[in-house]
Amino acid sequence: MSAQQGLVVRLILLERFGDIVANVGEIIFQNPNSLYHIAKSTKVPLGKVKEALSILIKHNLASFKLNVDGITAVYTLNIKNVFLMLRFPKFINLIKTKFDEEVEILVEEILLKGCLTGSEVILKATARLQENKNISVLIQQLKDKFASLVTAKYVIKLSTPTMKEEDLFALPNIDLKKLLIVLNGGSETLSDAGVYWTINFDRFHQDLRDQLIVNAVTNKFDENIGELMRILLQQMYVRTAPWVPSSNPVPILEVKEILKKRNTHSQLITHFEQYVNILEQDSTGIIRKVGEASGGSYQIEMKHIFNQLVWETIEHIVNEKFDSKASRIFRLVRSRHYIEPEQIQNLVMIPAKEAKRILYQLLEENFLVVNELKRSAPNLGPNKSFTLFHIRLDQIIRNIMELCYKSLYNIMTRRQHEKYLNKRLIDKKQRVDTITHGMRVQGISGDPVLDIEEMITPPETEILNRIGKMLQKLSLTELQIDDTMFSLEMYLMYD
Amino acid sequence: MSKSESESRENNEIESENRILELAKSKPNGISNNDIKTEISNIPPEVWTKTVNKLLKTGVLELFKDKGVLLYKYKDPSKKTEVKGSDNEEKIVYKIIEEAGNKGIWIRDIRFKSNLNMTQLNKVLKSLETKKFIKAVKSVAASKKKVYMLYNLEPDSSVTGGAWYQDQDFESEFVDILNQQCFRFLEGKRESAIKLGGGPLMCRNRSYVTTTDVHKFISELGISKVQLSVDDIESILYTVVLDNKAERTVNSNGEYLYRAIKPFLDPPGVVRTTCGICPIVDRCGDSGLINPKSCKYLTSWLND
Repeated sequence: MSAQQGLVVRLILLERFGDIVANVGEIIFQNPNSLYHIAKSTKVPLGKVKEALSILIKHNLASFKLNVDGITAVYTLNIKNVFLMLRFPKFINLIKTKFDEEVEILVEEILLKGCLTGSEVILKATARLQENKNISVLIQQLKDKFASLVTAKYVIKLSTPTMKEEDLFALPNIDLKKLLIVLNGGSETLSDAGVYWTINFDRFHQDLRDQLIVNAVTNKFDENIGELMRILLQQMYVRTAPWVPSSNPVPILEVKEILKKRNTHSQLITHFEQYVNILEQDSTGIIRKVGEASGGSYQIEMKHIFNQLVWETIEHIVNEKFDSKASRIFRLVRSRHYIEPEQIQNLVMIPAKEAKRILYQLLEENFLVVNELKRSAPNLGPNKSFTLFHIRLDQIIRNIMELCYKSLYNIMTRRQHEKYLNKRLIDKKQRVDTITHGMRVQGISGDPVLDIEEMITPPETEILNRIGKMLQKLSLTELQIDDTMFSLEMYLMYD
Repeated sequence: MSKSESESRENNEIESENRILELAKSKPNGISNNDIKTEISNIPPEVWTKTVNKLLKTGVLELFKDKGVLLYKYKDPSKKTEVKGSDNEEKIVYKIIEEAGNKGIWIRDIRFKSNLNMTQLNKVLKSLETKKFIKAVKSVAASKKKVYMLYNLEPDSSVTGGAWYQDQDFESEFVDILNQQCFRFLEGKRESAIKLGGGPLMCRNRSYVTTTDVHKFISELGISKVQLSVDDIESILYTVVLDNKAERTVNSNGEYLYRAIKPFLDPPGVVRTTCGICPIVDRCGDSGLINPKSCKYLTSWLND
């Protein structure tokens, strides 16, 4: 928790829920507080504070517990979940590629509302999809798709302390007939009222993690080994809980069978053993052979993989932030653990002066730390002390997290600023769009529509295009920064 | 003094000289006064002391002190380089420099060892230099430090820095070019291994190269004016490994094998923005001259 993090949290809340929620969020970010304290420090009317808190709680962004006095409740912000909102586009994209558009809409609705009952989700999705479709068929489809989401554990029941673990993914009882009545404007108590569902972030993270690993392996080796890794991960889940540091052994024959059935990578099947060998013998140690039984079984070293990936991430950051010479020195210090500057100069083949400059620059930016060992006996010749450089990974990770927050904050501030500067133009464009859209719906076309559209002059269109590109770039960057944060988080989780 | 008396004394002196030399030759660790006394008891002490003094003066014997006992050591006159026309100071300084070998010795250390004062020592050194007995070599470790060594010696690589130094300047461009060429060679090897086909394991094994292979390639390229040794190439290859462009393993002969590799990841998202690599990000804030709203770096990046 840092001041910079608080600033980003505020901006995220501001962009999504507006001023009041952001103010309330800021107060409970700083300190868990009771309702009256929040109202007092934000100077927002009590009613509004209550509303804001209920929004936060509904999105699982805040939680509350009984104060020590036993009367009031204390509200805390769930900072992690606030940051997860940056990752929503990735979740939606993941669902879209894994399932189809209808499932994507179901997930989107839940993400928008924070939590919903099964019936509500289906109702909302139906409202969005009902164009040109038979409604009763559609809701049946949606119900099935929702059920598949539940079985795949992408959504989870909002838990209460009394709920048992196996109930978390129990299918809800959704009565389609009643749903139809509601859809046609009737009022009816829905069969699953009170059973709320929310997104199971862990499950999404698991998918994102696997994707990250497979992509990394594909980059380093080739497509074939990437595919091998994918199947290995898939088979890992059969025997292993998803988040253990190193998996239970996976029999390699099983993987081979699956690959044979799929028959997508003929190279991989012909040279299967060799590919497994390459992956196992590689110095990065992604998998480890643990037994000879049934053609050998292998453990997947999750913790180790993320250790590797995080090191490489940091090396890349050093490389980009300074230059390739700096990353060379950084890697040397990493491989030697503790090393003297003279040795570094000799091994990295950089002029002594330059090497020293880089070393102390890295030290200044906290990528390296120095240990000085002083010799106590003064009579042994000139009193020499040893200067040893080394790396503290945890410290660097914290620093980089901080850098991520800072960059995020800057990017988001800039985006808001650009929007603010061109507010008039953007508003105008929006108005023109709504008018022309309305006209088209009414069946008007031709000159009148063109007349309205021409209200935006060519230079204005040019500016709008430029702003559009700029905002897109900023949003994309936001997602990329989140990627970095994700891999660091994964490392910290296994650590 | 009669003739025969002086004759016998001369004989005595010659005899004592021969015997002492023999004795000294037989004991390379040196002989003490007592050794001489017992070995050549027939020669009176005042005679052999004279001889010893003479031998010491001509440099055939050297005087050492070990645990309070004076020792004389024989010094091969054939090895002895004549420091013609020089005085005692020059001889001592010359000896000190000779002991330092091809690593050379710093002027301050000569001063400590010889107990000469600065002006005198400078004079001695200058005179030795003009007579081409010694030479001054600039060390790469510290640019202002001069070390002295015998004129006919080739300086040690720790003084000159080896192939990477020219006039004690590190040739970083040369090293960079070699680094690129080595990587190019490894990469080429990897690509040709993939083209050759065969199983993936064979591909991998074919892409390994030894240092000698790389050395041969670099020598044939002819980019180097100086002769590079295999060890030089080894250290260049290690920088390629440190750049995360290659990996190093050991084969069964204990030789290092190198292979070009690819990284796991692309540069992470945070350094693809300007803020991630901004040198003044620490000074950036909401207010003040450096702020995200008017940041020049961000603006130029957005307008790219």
